[in-house]
Amino acid sequence: MAGPIINDTPTKTKERQITIDPITRLEGHGKIEIFLNDQGNVENAYLQVPELRGFERFCIGRHVMELPVLTNRLCGVCPAAHHIASTKTLDAVFSAKPTETAKKIRELFYMGQFTHSHIAHFYALAAPDFVLGPSAPANKRNVLGVVDAVGVPIGAEVIKHRSYGQKVQEITGGRATHPVFGLPGGVSKQISEEERAQMEEMAKSCIKFGEFTIKLFHDLVLGNKDYMGLVLNKDAYYLETYYMGMVDKNGKSNFYDGDIRVVDQDGKEVEKFRPEQYLDVIAEHVEPWTFMKMPYLKKVGWKGLETGRGNGIYRVGPLGRINVCNGYTTPLAQKEYEFFKKTIKDLGVTGPMHFTLAFHWARVIELQYAAERMLELVGDKTITSDDIRGPFGQPKEGVGICEAPRGTLIHHYASDKDGLCTKINMIVASTNNYAASNASVRQAAKALIKDWMVSPGLLNKVEMAFRCYDPCHSCGTHSLNGGPALEVTIRRKDGSVLKTERNF
Amino acid sequence: MADALRSSVKRLVLGVGNPIGTDDGVGIHVARELKKLDLPGVEVEELPASGLELLDMVVGYDKVIIVDAIKTRGGNPGDFYTLTEDDFVRSVHGASPHGINIPTALAMGRRIVPEQMPRELIFVAVEVEDIENVSDKMTPKVAKAVPRIVEFVEERLKSS
Repeated sequence: MAGPIINDTPTKTKERQITIDPITRLEGHGKIEIFLNDQGNVENAYLQVPELRGFERFCIGRHVMELPVLTNRLCGVCPAAHHIASTKTLDAVFSAKPTETAKKIRELFYMGQFTHSHIAHFYALAAPDFVLGPSAPANKRNVLGVVDAVGVPIGAEVIKHRSYGQKVQEITGGRATHPVFGLPGGVSKQISEEERAQMEEMAKSCIKFGEFTIKLFHDLVLGNKDYMGLVLNKDAYYLETYYMGMVDKNGKSNFYDGDIRVVDQDGKEVEKFRPEQYLDVIAEHVEPWTFMKMPYLKKVGWKGLETGRGNGIYRVGPLGRINVCNGYTTPLAQKEYEFFKKTIKDLGVTGPMHFTLAFHWARVIELQYAAERMLELVGDKTITSDDIRGPFGQPKEGVGICEAPRGTLIHHYASDKDGLCTKINMIVASTNNYAASNASVRQAAKALIKDWMVSPGLLNKVEMAFRCYDPCHSCGTHSLNGGPALEVTIRRKDGSVLKTERNF
Repeated sequence: MADALRSSVKRLVLGVGNPIGTDDGVGIHVARELKKLDLPGVEVEELPASGLELLDMVVGYDKVIIVDAIKTRGGNPGDFYTLTEDDFVRSVHGASPHGINIPTALAMGRRIVPEQMPRELIFVAVEVEDIENVSDKMTPKVAKAVPRIVEFVEERLKSS
């Protein structure tokens, strides 16, 4: 197999506005606008996001019990996360305490979600850059090119284990993609011993696959000095932000339940809050050029898209979680976490890991954790108990938070006495990351595009700066037309289109 | 994915879309109507996602009909077309930030598990009007087309 193609040859552009337009959803998509100055360097760059409109309005007046299955329709990418956040919100709305069995089943389901989601991101979306190279020809830089490069047997393992994640969700959640099992105080479906045993075998296999993935990451990225040069390019992929993520009572990373911890640029804890306190910590900024809001830390304040100590921009997701936690509760994930900490310490990093592309490393550690935690939960035979539903009270207002694969996910509902929804607010993971991903795009564009010199590989490297966040900006559901992966529109100064180039 | 239970059922209708995405839900609505008919030997499923999830669903079947929304320039809402994987050759790619699309997922299946992929796979693509707004109701022209689409799919299931 030929080595990855890290760099290509840039050519001069005469245009002052470059658009990277990743059309991936019929319902809407994000695009990057890059503006050049008179010297042909980047003046500014924006990640613009058109959003699906009217979702909150659609929910008002509905019974709150419907929301776990309605809010998960918001998105075809992470419906399981919305279902869990929504179910936890119903726990709060109905003052319901889920039974121990119900909590285990929910978390087991959720480990299935993380397994499938992180496998899909790493192998289908990130691996083309790592295996084939960011500057490889676009018609090869995709998941099929990865399969060609690594071989069909490995491709089959990817498909199999991602499918195991789906299967665990299907068994526990009723459906693989849009689950229906969450109820206030519990779940609707008990697990049989036969199902438990089936999932136990899948979990064991997923652990082995997690180990394989970590090794692959070591070989492909850590073992390649050109990649490490890219990863450690401080001009292009480095932001000193705050970080946010969920931790258990011992400060270990947890995806299902716990407090939300926020650390500063040195790793010092600056906030630790329960879900119902989120409005004391987070405020949202609005920019005129995008539909998506930009959350920030209220006490620090909003100072624009510049990052640093004086500005309340924070990051969530795998990088946020690994930077706020003290480690993982499972042995293999913990072992890799310790290796991660040692490696970055050797690079001179003593506090949080601010290098943006480290999202990918954190993600493969989380894949290992999800598989190990899955086995812990499913290996506990009490998970088949019929004690799956606790009592609940009268509806009122409540907040529920979980960690979506892409980061902290907040749902907040208010109900009238009949259970009808009177207010709904959601801050989704990619929204939490929106200001930071914008800053990352701007930073990468400024560092990589100089003196009018542009190439598909350079533009892909700009896109890599936000792809690693695993963004899910449009809550779309599917795409039959399969739009282009990357479309660059070069505009005249007056904004009219001079030419369009597609890299596929 | 290698779900042994699936091997005994050879025909699948898969409605793809978002049931609260206005016309985007047409595939789901068609699937729900077909399910009511309880056609012998035919599985009917809904899929509100794309990409690898779709690959999971179609593996193990001989014949698959996917019903989904499509928007073409100048198209009339409610019209529908029959397409095959070959019609999407130019759409096969995967380096998007969000996920891989249906043609890419199918191409991946044909590469990795060719013996488990459907021998016949067709898309019934329904021309839609509104996929922007949130609603569980389709626009009138698309809603009116649903019985015709159901009838068409039923006929296609018979021919093999």
